[in-house]
Amino acid sequence: MFDFINPYYLQIGSFVLINILLAISVYVPLSSGQLSLGSAGFMAIGAYTSALLTINFDIPLVFGIIAGACVAGILGIIIGIPSLRLTGVFLAIATLGLGEVIRVIFVNWESLTKGSIGLTGVPQIGRELLNFVRGFGFEPSSIGLKNNQFVFLMVFLLLLIIVIATIWFVARQQNSRVGRSFSSIQMDEKAAESMGVNITYYKVLAFAQGAFIAGLAGALFAHVMGYISPSDFAYHKAVEVLIYTVFGGSEVIIGSIFGAIFLTLMPEVLRFISEYRYIIYGILLVILMAVRPQGLIDIHLLSRFKRVKRSKGGVR
Amino acid sequence: MVLEIQNVSKNFGGIHALKDVSFSIKEGEIYGLIGPNGAGKTTMFNLITNIFEPSSGEIIFNNEAITGIKSHKITEKGICRTYQNIRLFSQMSALKNVMVGGHSRTSSGVFGSVFRTKAQKKEETLLTQKAEELLELVGLIEHKDTIAENLAYGQQRRLEIARALASNPKLLLLDEPAAGMNEKETDSLYDLIKMIQSKGITVLIIEHDMPLVMKLCDRITVLNFGEKLAEGTPTEIQNNEAVIEAYLGKEEEEEIA
Repeated sequence: MFDFINPYYLQIGSFVLINILLAISVYVPLSSGQLSLGSAGFMAIGAYTSALLTINFDIPLVFGIIAGACVAGILGIIIGIPSLRLTGVFLAIATLGLGEVIRVIFVNWESLTKGSIGLTGVPQIGRELLNFVRGFGFEPSSIGLKNNQFVFLMVFLLLLIIVIATIWFVARQQNSRVGRSFSSIQMDEKAAESMGVNITYYKVLAFAQGAFIAGLAGALFAHVMGYISPSDFAYHKAVEVLIYTVFGGSEVIIGSIFGAIFLTLMPEVLRFISEYRYIIYGILLVILMAVRPQGLIDIHLLSRFKRVKRSKGGVR
Repeated sequence: MVLEIQNVSKNFGGIHALKDVSFSIKEGEIYGLIGPNGAGKTTMFNLITNIFEPSSGEIIFNNEAITGIKSHKITEKGICRTYQNIRLFSQMSALKNVMVGGHSRTSSGVFGSVFRTKAQKKEETLLTQKAEELLELVGLIEHKDTIAENLAYGQQRRLEIARALASNPKLLLLDEPAAGMNEKETDSLYDLIKMIQSKGITVLIIEHDMPLVMKLCDRITVLNFGEKLAEGTPTEIQNNEAVIEAYLGKEEEEEIA
């Protein structure tokens, strides 16, 4: 029974969900016109903060994860304020540099982080959840699940809830006074300011929210994997995350989500031609950038989709 | 006085964009700022909205010095502007553009936006209503869902005015609102500005369309090479020797003789 609940698929599903969070962490600053490549750095901050707190001080996982996200968010504010002077490519380079600085600190601060070997024995969400339900006398076998099936399923569902909550938060915010301010800054910063939008506040807000979400993703990553090392948060991670958003379409949140899902699944789906899969990945990106530089999903596509839906509704 | 410009100068490096300019605007009037290209008219707007700070001099709004106050705070105090080269939020619908204009008159933050509190919902409804009224006023209500960049040129200019009005300004700065408009559009612009005046809003307007300026303005200041050349009613300005000279050039009497 329940053989279809395959730990391998669930694990990939969990990675997809974490990557969606990361894609959103790029999308939010971008919606206010700030191209931040600091996601990997903020992710590392979140991961290490939560891992170190839970390993060294026995803090419950929930608080560790929240602390990880908050520390990343606060760092986002601290970095966001001086970064206000930078726009476009310059901001991208500065944030990319920030990520590398964070990584190098984690590599060299061996007494705390065990350097490039990384941290092992990070408490895992799945096991904690299993122990938690066992505390109530519940056994996975009683509903016909093996222990590891249950663990992976619970992790997946928990991440799903967090991701849905994050999307809900960002989408609601987007369609409101705050979101309008973000887009007005993205479209014309000077005009936004003369319409009374405090651009300093909103830019730092968007930047810090992105950092918070990346930190959250990092903390979750640490507790899903149970093992982290600085190389998990290297420069290629930052670029990978950027590509999710750019590939899917950076104008709308659905674009980022779609990009993260598609690009995480594709290498797995193409596993049967394992030697060529990254070539295909690369070719796809090149074609996309040539044909649709704004990404697969943009506002026009969405509005066309909505119109089709509406006209169908009219027929009915 | 709504606005008092007191001995304002602005230098960019060695260039004197404005030299010791003073004038003041009474409540409820339409005040014109004219002069040849490069006379410093738009610079004056940029100083009033503090995109630049003046090199010297004071700008007083409602008996309060606003020199050096941040741009968005100045909007809160009740000065809003349009731009010579239209600066709409080009990918937003017309309605949303106007709603951004209402930013300084609304207050909901992240919490209210995400959890849709009662206050936020009420504010959003009122803001939408007000934005629609303003679009009605400028004659764009049937285009409220059109993306701004898809509007015709004249419509974009009127949308910019509606967006500025959404901030409930006491003083509205219009930078060449008639530029690129045909005669019919200019006529309806005249009606619109008169209507804005009738709502108790003071208007400071930069404009090159002289018939419009003369018809519209109660008083006018003429700038030339950053200096104030003349001030007065349209009739006085039209008969002012120095102004005629600046616009048409000096008659070279010897050559004629």
